[in-house]
Amino acid sequence: MKQYKIAIILLLSGTLLTSLNACQKGEIPNLNTPIAGDIVKSASREQLMNLAVGMESGMRLTLNTYYDAFGLLGREIYRFSASEPRYTGELMRGQLDNNTFYTTNPWTSRYRIVRQANILIDAATNSAAITDPQKKGYLGFARTVIAYELLLNLNMTYTNGIRTDVKDPDHLGPFKGYPESLTDIANLLDQAKTDLTGSEVIFPLSPGFAGFNTPAGLLKFNRALAARVAVYRQQWASALAALNESFFDLNGSFSLGIFHVYSANSGDQLNLLFLPQNNPGENRLAHPSYAADIAAGDDRIQKATLRTTAVTIDGLTSNRDVWVYRSNVDPVPIIRNEELILIYAEAKIQLTQLPDAIVALNRIRTSHGLAPYAGAVTQPALTTEMLTQRRYSLFTEGHRWVDMRRYNRLNQLPNDRTGDNVPDKFPIPLTESN
Amino acid sequence: MYQIKQLTLLLLLLCSAFVAAAQQKVTGRVTDASGNGIPGVTVRIQQSTHGAITDANGRFSVEASNGSVLIFSFTGYKTQQLTVSGNTINVTMQEDYANLDEVVITGLATSVKRSNLANAVATISAKELYGVAPAQTFDAALSGKIPGALITANSGAPGGGISVKMRGVTSVFGNSQPLYVVDGIFISNVSIPAGLNIITAAASAGNPQNQDNPSSRVADINPDDIENIEILKGASAAAIYGAKAAAGVIIITTKKGSSSGKTTVRFRQDVGVNVARKLLGMRHFTEETALDYGGAAAKAQFIAARDAGKLYDYEKELYGEKGLLLNTGVSVSGGDERTGVYFSANRKAEDGIIKNTGYLNNALRLNVDHKISDRITAGLRMTYINSSADRGLTNNDNNSVTYGVSLASTPEFIELHPDAFGNYPINPGAANFLETRDKIRNNETVNRVISGGEIKATLHNNNMTNTKLIVRGGIDYFNLKTEAIFPRSLQFMKGGLNGASIQGNTNNLNTNVAAILVNSLEANSKLNFTTSLGATLETGNLDNLIATATNLLPQQTNVDQASASQLQQFRQKYRDNGIFIQEEVLIMDAITAAAGVRFDRSTNNGDYRKYFVLPKAALSWNLAKMPFWNVRSINSFKVRAAYGQAGNVAPYGAKFLALTASNIGGQPGSLVDTQLGNTNIEQEKQTELEAGLDISFFNGRLSLEASYYNKKIFDLLLRRAVAPSTGFAQQWVNGGDLRNRGIEIGINATPVDKKVIRWNIAVNFWKNTSEVTRLTIPAFPLGAFGNTLGNFYIQQGKSATQIIGTLGTGKGIGVLGNAEPDFQMSFYNDVTVLKNLSLRFMIHWKKGGDNINLTQLLSDLSKTSYDYDAMDYGNVKNGVYRVNALVNNDASVRVQDASYVRIREIGLYYNIPIPKNRYISAVNVGASANNWFTFTKYKSYDPESSNFGSNTMSTSTTRGSTGVSTGVEVTPYPASKRAELHLAVTF
Repeated sequence: MKQYKIAIILLLSGTLLTSLNACQKGEIPNLNTPIAGDIVKSASREQLMNLAVGMESGMRLTLNTYYDAFGLLGREIYRFSASEPRYTGELMRGQLDNNTFYTTNPWTSRYRIVRQANILIDAATNSAAITDPQKKGYLGFARTVIAYELLLNLNMTYTNGIRTDVKDPDHLGPFKGYPESLTDIANLLDQAKTDLTGSEVIFPLSPGFAGFNTPAGLLKFNRALAARVAVYRQQWASALAALNESFFDLNGSFSLGIFHVYSANSGDQLNLLFLPQNNPGENRLAHPSYAADIAAGDDRIQKATLRTTAVTIDGLTSNRDVWVYRSNVDPVPIIRNEELILIYAEAKIQLTQLPDAIVALNRIRTSHGLAPYAGAVTQPALTTEMLTQRRYSLFTEGHRWVDMRRYNRLNQLPNDRTGDNVPDKFPIPLTESN
Repeated sequence: MYQIKQLTLLLLLLCSAFVAAAQQKVTGRVTDASGNGIPGVTVRIQQSTHGAITDANGRFSVEASNGSVLIFSFTGYKTQQLTVSGNTINVTMQEDYANLDEVVITGLATSVKRSNLANAVATISAKELYGVAPAQTFDAALSGKIPGALITANSGAPGGGISVKMRGVTSVFGNSQPLYVVDGIFISNVSIPAGLNIITAAASAGNPQNQDNPSSRVADINPDDIENIEILKGASAAAIYGAKAAAGVIIITTKKGSSSGKTTVRFRQDVGVNVARKLLGMRHFTEETALDYGGAAAKAQFIAARDAGKLYDYEKELYGEKGLLLNTGVSVSGGDERTGVYFSANRKAEDGIIKNTGYLNNALRLNVDHKISDRITAGLRMTYINSSADRGLTNNDNNSVTYGVSLASTPEFIELHPDAFGNYPINPGAANFLETRDKIRNNETVNRVISGGEIKATLHNNNMTNTKLIVRGGIDYFNLKTEAIFPRSLQFMKGGLNGASIQGNTNNLNTNVAAILVNSLEANSKLNFTTSLGATLETGNLDNLIATATNLLPQQTNVDQASASQLQQFRQKYRDNGIFIQEEVLIMDAITAAAGVRFDRSTNNGDYRKYFVLPKAALSWNLAKMPFWNVRSINSFKVRAAYGQAGNVAPYGAKFLALTASNIGGQPGSLVDTQLGNTNIEQEKQTELEAGLDISFFNGRLSLEASYYNKKIFDLLLRRAVAPSTGFAQQWVNGGDLRNRGIEIGINATPVDKKVIRWNIAVNFWKNTSEVTRLTIPAFPLGAFGNTLGNFYIQQGKSATQIIGTLGTGKGIGVLGNAEPDFQMSFYNDVTVLKNLSLRFMIHWKKGGDNINLTQLLSDLSKTSYDYDAMDYGNVKNGVYRVNALVNNDASVRVQDASYVRIREIGLYYNIPIPKNRYISAVNVGASANNWFTFTKYKSYDPESSNFGSNTMSTSTTRGSTGVSTGVEVTPYPASKRAELHLAVTF
């Protein structure tokens, strides 16, 4: 009996022992997500589409931080948060840290999309599942997006520059200065233009690209961005040339353009630039100068609605909420016709074709309930007028600080407290030196 | 497979050899020094598995032949050996003051007497763990009781959350928490976040780490079931556990059924109260300060509130609840020589110090041990736990919604109380925390089964040698349901998310199997060999699903009662296996030499097929057991040294470059992750050398245990910050080495041992210093919110826990502190008067160790700090001074000394003398206080706090805890203290 029991136990344990190495075998794959390396080697049609969708989707990451920081530096907004002192501290005082969220998060997100675009380019180039025109469609879109993402980062670091060549993560290109980087961005847009010409677009684009989700449409988007880059480069004639190939329409809707769209669907994002009116706690408020400086009758005052009570934090007070986005699924513009009209006006002013510029400025003024321009018809006066119109038309869209910098007018931006200061650029993130 | 069959056959043959000798009946009585019979003493015939257990009067009866040796052993007494001659043997047991004869588990299946042990293995008895002043959860009960460990409560929220770091920081990004083994079952101690970031956005700005601060799953275990705990602190002791042992092993043994033939039923009832350890108070305004606070409007508001008598102490309203504590337990222990059964049922229901928070734990346990035959024993362990923790909404956030952040933004003159219709006023500065508290729910519910079994078979046995096969297996399965409900009527839900229901469901199954062959060979009376050979396999399978529904129907919580939803799933699987062999030699019962090697691999490593070789060796020499020893006052004098290696597997997913889900326009998308995988990632390797001296004087009345260790971690698993223009934020690398050195000194004494009074005292001192000895990647900050607020900084040549920060505008960055304590001490006292009245208390002193106090920062910024108007910094208000420091980029004011002296536990117990009767054998009553008295200069709720938790799981989309970020405080759930009355009746 005893031996019988021992035999059974031994048999059981013997089985267990052998099963230790036998019951499970092999590598455990990633159970949660696709792996980049596999897709780059041999992507299917669907996987390429997923990459394109992921790229468009990812373009929205941490944009709220970017726009808030630009709004603060451009003295367009106040951002009050009980738990984040740096909105009213460092960002208003102009001592920008090279290793904190407002510097690193947007910068990293933009380069993440550049990486995604490079992966998409590699995957599309290697894929046997698509035709050459289809490849060109992917490449053209991906390069346009790279150019846009690089431009946003260059807006941050300005003369500190950016890396424009980041294709190989192990051998990054050097930091290039502001003009050189802008040149690279312009060239990239031109290259994308070549790609898009004669291409076929098979990937889905969100409703934010409604009207622009064809090769011709993407080309117009590309040229609109090229026009913005051209005015940054003070190449006024090329700006006008680019506008001609874009969706610029002097009499068209201001909101014609390309947008980031949002939804509460799974895996999608909400528009974090939205805060309800009179929200307690977290506040995104109009800088008092917005209402103080606005011309009477300007309907753009609706972008900064009166609160029931003013809010004060850290010596800063405002009684108006930013009311540009009115729900957490409102779209955020990438580029839209109102900016293109102002780019047109700017180029014309700089080319001293002042009557043309006035036509464009009046198109903006009258549409917003103002009388036609009646000021001096001089280049400086019209420049000031153009910057004012940009300030109100593109409020909180990330332009004010950049515009004042372009025209060396950062010193005209108000400082509310002693010690406040408007810097002209963000530092390069600390970890770039790694 | 073939070889194993051969081996089995061979072993079978060996087993058929049986021994027989002339047997006779030997009876006797085992008594203590004062002549009372000791029940439960094990009487074993040497070199056999035969034996007996003494009955209630200390009597035993056993079949043994003349000349054979009987071994009498019982916990707390010295083991005695007597040779049989005749039919009667009476024994008087000597008390083992220094626990020299206590048996300590050193291998997966072998144990060594403490007097021969080569490591400093800390043990915690049931009395020390849970018999002084019971803590809420098992993990909290460890506080202060492990010399060499830094144990910190992450949060005061019900359900716990404790960080245990043994001998310093073991890993920066890998696992830094010990392995918990309950009766041979490797249990999960993961902390699974509830997906609160959509509400708090805590991880959206300054630090991307998850800040939900969930409880640790080891908290589920019922501490009342625990018989004792052994702690293997580092690789030198724990190498045999391989790649899971780098941060130490906590070996928990639960209670067994007695084999005395008598069934004991014990009933326990505890009733108590739970209150905040410390409340800071509110800033009291004057007309002048209200004007400064918020201009004329605030001044008017203040005057109106003051005149109406409506200045509120909101802190007290929020954190000042007195929570009722109820704990009821029944245990049954019984059995006979062949079968022992222990059964327990326990229900704990506790309210928190914040309304609508609390903890509930229902636990059942059944432990059965059965002797199938003289050669085979089987043990079964089974426990079912149902726990539920309502944890409120605390800690950091970026949406001004958590209780603490809202409270910090609220001055005393704002009205937040609901009106007669139940409408809560809007709080202009943040959420109305009274409304939030009354309406939300943040619950973790666990249903868990931990079950395992062990079979021990003596394969072969003769008077020189025996071979045992031990087969052990266990499973730990739990389902964790997290539920966070934010109704749409909440102030911060209106116009935004419009109500949220976050439902998380996690299923986790851990399994482990081990088969070990142990051969003992007594070559002669002075030479013993123990050889073990074994194989182990551990697997884990976790599946976490979080559904977040927003725009929720009023009163509804189901995720389909909403117009929008988000889903997240995260799964992880691993399979680790190891093979080990170990040889222990005991010479003259004085010299112990041991050596072993383990081969270990894991599917989490870059190459899952590669075995890592982890050797260990140990030597101890107890000079007092040598023939030449003639110092009578010193009865044990042991020098010892041990060396071992352990690994720490790479975190799950470190090999991959993943594409995460990122959708738009209703289309599915894949977006490259910011974490660059590394296909060459390897285990961290740890070597630890420990040396020590253990001396026992005056028959054990005074003993000293001193250890020095040098623990080195090579190939640290680091998330290297890569240049972000690569598109990646981090990459996994093996990028450096870390060293922890320290000393641990323990003194145990029984200064008084009289019938009237007996006093036992244990004093422990421990100290650790760490240094990053090599770093192949640039120094990097981590663990907090950036340099302007103080941050940890991993830097070659510096302590792993140093805190750096900006020194002021233009002055750059410098060291501001260190989270590592200068040293810690604990004092445990047990005074027993007339055997029946017992006073026990434990004092814990942590000297040094800094926190980053950001609770203070947030209240300073909102001008609500309780000490805002005080003038501790000269001629300027504290609040103004500290805010100016921030303005001037001076982070030093936030880094604060978190030293404390704390009476962790104090309890007074009395055994009511009752006349002998048939029903009740003992009644014990007591009163206790847990963490009641704390002496500290730290200027916030409690020096123990960690905004980032300690072992929060990383998922595809969130980053978990690091090994260093203990001590960052951001408006936590305040720590609480407990006072209880106890009644225990034994039937």
